[in-house]
Amino acid sequence: MKKVQLHTIGMLILLTGLFSCTEIIDIKLDSTYTRLVVYGVITTDSVQQEVQLTASTDYFYTENPPVVKGANVSVSFDNNTVFLEEDEENPGTYRFPDPIRGVTGITYTLNISGVDIDNDGTFELYDATTTMPQIESADSVVLQKFITPFFSGYNLALWSPEPTGRHWYNYKIFRNGEPVNKRLSDFRVQSDDFANDGYISGIPVGFLNDDNEDELLLPGDIVTLEINSITESYNKFIVQAQNEIFGNNPLFSGPPANVYTNLNNDALGIFTAYAIDRVSKIVPAPSFE
Amino acid sequence: MSRIIVTSVLFIFFTISAISQNRVTVSGYLRDSQTGEDLIGANIAILETGSGTITNQYGFYSISLSPGFYTLIYSYIGFQSVSKPLNFIEDSEIDIELKESAQEIEEVVITAEASNSNITSLETGATKLQMKTIRKIPALLGEVDVIKAIQLLPGVQVTSEGSSGFSVRGGSPDQNLILLDEATVYNASHLLGFFSVFNNDAIKDVKLYKGDIPARSGGRLASLLDVRMKDGNNKEISGAGGIGTISSRLTLEGPLFSQKGSFLVAGRRTYADVFLPLARDTAIRDNALYFYDLNGKINYTLNENNRFYLSAYNGKDIFSNDFAGISFGNSTFTFRWNHLFSKKLFSNFTLINSSYYYNLGTPDDAVPRFTWLSKLTDYSVKADFIYYPLPEHTFRFGASSTYHIISPGEIITQNGEGDNDTTTYSPNYTLESGSYLSGESRFGKAFSVRYGLRYSQFDNIGEAVFYEYDNNYQVVDSTEYDKREIFNTYRGLEPRLAANFKINEANSIKFSYSRTIQYLQLASNSSAGTPLDIWFPASPNIKPQLSNQYSAGYFRNFLDNKLESSIEIYYKQMDQSIDFAEHAQLILNRYLEGEVRTGTATSAGAELFFRYSDKKFSGWLSYTYSRTIREIKDVNNGNPYSAPYDKPNDLAVVGSYDINDRVNVSANWIYSSGLPYTLPVGRYSIEGNILPVYIGRNEYRLPDYHRLDISVTIKDKTRPKRPWSSEWNFSVYNAYARKNVWTLNFLQDDENPNITYAEMTYLFSIIPAITYNFKF
Repeated sequence: MKKVQLHTIGMLILLTGLFSCTEIIDIKLDSTYTRLVVYGVITTDSVQQEVQLTASTDYFYTENPPVVKGANVSVSFDNNTVFLEEDEENPGTYRFPDPIRGVTGITYTLNISGVDIDNDGTFELYDATTTMPQIESADSVVLQKFITPFFSGYNLALWSPEPTGRHWYNYKIFRNGEPVNKRLSDFRVQSDDFANDGYISGIPVGFLNDDNEDELLLPGDIVTLEINSITESYNKFIVQAQNEIFGNNPLFSGPPANVYTNLNNDALGIFTAYAIDRVSKIVPAPSFE
Repeated sequence: MSRIIVTSVLFIFFTISAISQNRVTVSGYLRDSQTGEDLIGANIAILETGSGTITNQYGFYSISLSPGFYTLIYSYIGFQSVSKPLNFIEDSEIDIELKESAQEIEEVVITAEASNSNITSLETGATKLQMKTIRKIPALLGEVDVIKAIQLLPGVQVTSEGSSGFSVRGGSPDQNLILLDEATVYNASHLLGFFSVFNNDAIKDVKLYKGDIPARSGGRLASLLDVRMKDGNNKEISGAGGIGTISSRLTLEGPLFSQKGSFLVAGRRTYADVFLPLARDTAIRDNALYFYDLNGKINYTLNENNRFYLSAYNGKDIFSNDFAGISFGNSTFTFRWNHLFSKKLFSNFTLINSSYYYNLGTPDDAVPRFTWLSKLTDYSVKADFIYYPLPEHTFRFGASSTYHIISPGEIITQNGEGDNDTTTYSPNYTLESGSYLSGESRFGKAFSVRYGLRYSQFDNIGEAVFYEYDNNYQVVDSTEYDKREIFNTYRGLEPRLAANFKINEANSIKFSYSRTIQYLQLASNSSAGTPLDIWFPASPNIKPQLSNQYSAGYFRNFLDNKLESSIEIYYKQMDQSIDFAEHAQLILNRYLEGEVRTGTATSAGAELFFRYSDKKFSGWLSYTYSRTIREIKDVNNGNPYSAPYDKPNDLAVVGSYDINDRVNVSANWIYSSGLPYTLPVGRYSIEGNILPVYIGRNEYRLPDYHRLDISVTIKDKTRPKRPWSSEWNFSVYNAYARKNVWTLNFLQDDENPNITYAEMTYLFSIIPAITYNFKF
């Protein structure tokens, strides 16, 4: 349903497209001070969970973001504190020393010290907290062939029970183990507002477009839907980030604004936990009935 | 202040009523001799006393004088004046028909009600537009448009390129009350705002009040746009029409009931989609893309004391293909009964139904199917009285009540198995009522004053679910109210005052003060707005918006009133001014009130206006300097910021020149500061995407806006025996193809994700259009 809604809004934008043209322009932008950027995730998979530290730059900077090395990064949970180790090959990436599985209901607190992002000779302290959301095991994903005059592909409809209370989900799709939606801008987030009575019954959660080489499904392909049960604050972060990435349209967009962060001390980014469930389906051979 | 106004009005009312007892009253209607249309705001001067009156919105006038001989001079711009000597012995009814001037000299650009009425009238910040004037202004795609003409007036700013939205003295577009035959039009836009809903051929009279809104109207902070449809020709069947670049229109009007009444039917439809089947791409061929407007009106005069009017409007935009579609539209219906209780007491009773809706979703036979409906409906009753005890004094009083039903959304989904699932966003039921008392009095030849008080009341009514929010705008509790249960009431007093000191026939100074209260607002934070924006009411969480406006003006005419000039200054303080949270979700949000942020807004400005009209040339220059600043807790960290439509400099130059009897050339040039904009000052990268860093809302501006439009109109040669006439109109919009920035985006390069660049979007490069107009 959200797809139709987005498509309709897309049609309205397309309509303005009949009258509009675009042009790249030179514009001089002001600068601001450097901020610490944090992206840290704890999941229910058994992996060396990691936190990445970078620094903000001028808008028209042309290099990879500068990494923040040598920080003291720790995660506390359930009366434990784990100090993360910086990856020598990937400076700025800090990992748990051993694989660890995040646990639903547990609160994780990130602490960062030993960083002097503003170069004033004093180290700053940063922290953020997140709690691993609940998740239920999905029953199935159904592939529905979808044909319109404009495009065709497969809709992924999810059938799954849901924990009580309000929940948010991010859906990631893998084709034969390869991620289809890798970037933040490709994430598909949804609240459970349209799931009734604690059950998600066939709601479309993703779409694979036949015209896109990376998304085209052939008989025998294995499609895996990764369901991430995410926190409200991570949902807010993704939605706001996508608002900014997709750009401003005078018809639909509010004024541009900074993306939500759950970090303090003027840092940017997000520290979050999400629970993972996966469900797969093999693309059937075409039916000629 | 309110008590002083009420006491003063009542004192003057009773004193003057007593004096007027021994007067003789002459009353009647002023009409166009050719069509029988009532003339609104026509002037009736009494030669012997120097006083006079003007006709009301139904062309009615009433003059009470001591018995004796008097000469009444009836005049209306563009018409030949009539001088009538009358013996005031007994009450009588004199209807006057004025002939249109043979010369075009009076077909001035925006016309005033009398040659120096800008000097004598009490109104500050009010402008009337004549259809003939509007027709001459070059228009986008040749579609002559009332709202686009209004946007060229001082103190009125376009909200976004090509948009029908307008901001009056720093207000938001939803702070304008737009009335079509007294019914509220909630969305005056077609085709994403590029055209307005008003079909010029069906409109008789347009008046914009931007400062001093009459006490009879309320419910919006910034302005009143009062649009009146033609009544229809009651002399003979006639018609007008046009074939344009994107649309055609036809209007028919004529007498009914042995000339005791008349009718008007007008239609307009765009036909961009007519050309779609020619497209090679089958996907495009099946698209529907059009809008239409239908106006209809009937009036009937039962006798000299009773007249009835029925008017209706229906308009719709449709845009769809095989996969999804959207339609939206307004409809209004007004029934009015004019009744004369006496020759001095005119009354009008009105019943109104107005609605706006949109509907989007998949086709009916789609699987799965999805439909989203949203609708706003008004039911109103109104009673208005005008009492004319003496030519120097007029009193108005009345009351109105409107029941609003706002259904923000109902979503029906049907899955492949045929199961229906409906999600309903609770409707809002509210009752908005108002009563008013106002008077206009002239003391001597130099001083006149208008005083009024409006009492307004707003009730939230069940059935409703009311959500309570904490300081972080999170829902903490909810309460359900039963059907018809009034669970919240707001009341307000809105004084309105205006004074005019006439220094001489060519100079005057005016002051006005008005307080306005707004109980309904639009959930929109984009600059152009969309058809999907919904209205939402004041409630226990959202207090009504309130504005206090002070204005003063100096008016001066030169060259025997051929050149009018004025400078007006205003200061407006708005409380409970509405904005929205950053990244607010305004559509399909049960907790919409949690996205609302309120604070104060201040607007101040100076408006300069020069208008010239003579036989060959007419035109005007309007320049406004203004600033509008909002200060809202939780927006921009509580720091003051420029309001979304804050454009300090705004200039419009409009000119029209008759080269000869058949050829007219018109042009307008517009220049304004760019809209406030939020630009990034830094960036960071997460999961492959670059995100911007901002330091403040609306800290920067888009580049300045300017544009030149030109049109040439060539009339057919006049042939006395031919019953019809026609003209060709050639227009060019944005004649020097200025690329005005509509929006500015910052994007990430696909090939090298570390590269970011700025991309501007502009609408409408140079756009030529041809229109053929005819009338018979």
